[in-house]
Amino acid sequence: MGRTYNIIKYLCLLAWATFVVFPFLWALSTSFKDANAVTSGARYIPWVEFEPSVQGWTSLFASGSQGINIVQPFFNSASVTLLASIVSLGLGTLAAYGLSRFSYKAGFVKNSDITFFFISQRIMPPIVLAIPFFLMLKEIQALDTIFGLVIVYVALLLPIAVWVMTDFFASIPKELDEMAMIDGCTPIGAFFRVVLPNSTAGLVVAGMFCLIFGWNDFFFAFILTFTETQLLPVAIVSLNSSVTPWWSLSAFALISVTPLALIAIVVERFMSRGSLAGAFR
Amino acid sequence: MAEITLKNLGHSYFPQPKSEEDYALKPVNLVWEDGKTYALLGPSGCGKTTMLNIISGLLHPSDGQLLFDGRDVTNKTTSERNIAQVFQFPVIYTTKSVRRNLSFPLECRDWDPKKISGRVAEVSEMLELDDILDMPARRLSADQKQLISLGRGLVRDDVSAVLLDEPLTVIDPQMKFSLRRKLREINRQTGTTMILVTHDQSEAMSFADEVVVMKDGRVQQSGRPEQLFERPENTFVGYFIGSPPINLFNVDVKGDRLNCPALALTDLPRGDLGPGALQIGIRPDHLNFSDPSESNAVAMVEACENLGIDRIVSLRAANGELFKVKSRLRQKIDVGSKLGVSVAHKDVLVFQDGVLT
Repeated sequence: MGRTYNIIKYLCLLAWATFVVFPFLWALSTSFKDANAVTSGARYIPWVEFEPSVQGWTSLFASGSQGINIVQPFFNSASVTLLASIVSLGLGTLAAYGLSRFSYKAGFVKNSDITFFFISQRIMPPIVLAIPFFLMLKEIQALDTIFGLVIVYVALLLPIAVWVMTDFFASIPKELDEMAMIDGCTPIGAFFRVVLPNSTAGLVVAGMFCLIFGWNDFFFAFILTFTETQLLPVAIVSLNSSVTPWWSLSAFALISVTPLALIAIVVERFMSRGSLAGAFR
Repeated sequence: MAEITLKNLGHSYFPQPKSEEDYALKPVNLVWEDGKTYALLGPSGCGKTTMLNIISGLLHPSDGQLLFDGRDVTNKTTSERNIAQVFQFPVIYTTKSVRRNLSFPLECRDWDPKKISGRVAEVSEMLELDDILDMPARRLSADQKQLISLGRGLVRDDVSAVLLDEPLTVIDPQMKFSLRRKLREINRQTGTTMILVTHDQSEAMSFADEVVVMKDGRVQQSGRPEQLFERPENTFVGYFIGSPPINLFNVDVKGDRLNCPALALTDLPRGDLGPGALQIGIRPDHLNFSDPSESNAVAMVEACENLGIDRIVSLRAANGELFKVKSRLRQKIDVGSKLGVSVAHKDVLVFQDGVLT
């Protein structure tokens, strides 16, 4: 009974894993194909069904008419995403701590309203924000710059950081802060010396979400940049001309997915809910 | 070490309390003397923890003043008050080792590292944590974690007071007993004022020099354990202290004497009491069994509970009133049998409108 169950379980897992990994395998094999191998029907096995070529990969690092250079967009995307994530996580963590530990009241506005205000920024369709952002960045001459994109991305990522961290801090017993204050910390000292070191799991999860949303954003990167500050998603789309170079596109897609996949592998243990709960008592 | 004075100190969780009912802790005047052990005893929700949190500074009182050695500390921060507090459930710093957990309060106060390691060694030895000092605190069992909490409370030898908020709840009974004894020893050695919040009367009675009984945010009585047992100021204290609780009987007034039909007592002095509902209270421990043929008061056994050395016998008096007797009598007591009951006059307490006369 146990053995049959295990066999069925692993077969199901294998089927699911294949389903998930297949697009990556397909992209990987396509990235080593030439134009002929791509257009002449489905072929998967290199050296048997097609002759591998590294043209798709080399074109990403070439310049001029030879291809599109991926280095600059990659660097731009990494800078914008990292800076925006760090700022959002910093501000969001402080805001979330305040919201989870103190009661604010201004007229009819209370803590829950403030939290909702943050989250509501993500409820709105992004298109609503496109024109205001464009005009504002134009006003401060930050269109098509990393600085301008970081400001916009902070506005987009902050709600995620506040949301995740408010929830996380709510799961940390208030007694922990109180204990730290009794032990001799100031309220802000209690946050930095005791609460924050205990919040690694929450910070990793919030940081991961910020990185994913920041890295994958196409809409604002497309609207608020032109030629100077191109980000990866926009650069990928710009490959799509009259004749789409599927081999370069596949290589490009794999490169752009790799950083997030690597981070996900490293922080995977923090992503399970189990590591968030029950850590304090 | 400090004498702690509560001057008209009260707290309401409502921003604008309208009546006394809105107060979680009704304004109270109390003095916690330096170097003594105290127990705050009362049912859940009676305001014990509120009072403790006000003393430690985690809560700012809505009314009154808090004085440490005559100095007003009502507006001082928790760390300025230099109080140690242990919560009901273990609160530990999971990212630190046991050693760093114990040294943290001293590090926060910039103690000399040599002095810190000396104090940590002393406290860890006392609480038998010295074998696991370098283990990560998160990997310990619940009672070991609570020992760390306790250790952090005791590691500073200059605290104004140690506040213990039901800290022994999660600790197994054997360990509980020895910890209570250790806390008493520490108090005797160092003269640190200790305030223990509990709803367990035996814990309170065995730990404290003085017990403060609370109900509905109001202090009911404060005194030595034997005072509370022998002279409860009201029926609530009588009921709350002692196991089983005090028996209350109805009485009739006959001129200047009181009669208690249930126990056939006819010659109790009434004194100069005014009008008001009268009852007498007798501890189950003070009632004795006698031969029914020789006794004026006869009652029927309704139940008998064996507690090992003692027995608690539930009886119904001839007039229908129920009461309990705690007895060490070895003879067999059958349910449904009749027993004579007697009491010494000195053990009879008279309550008027629930208050001891």
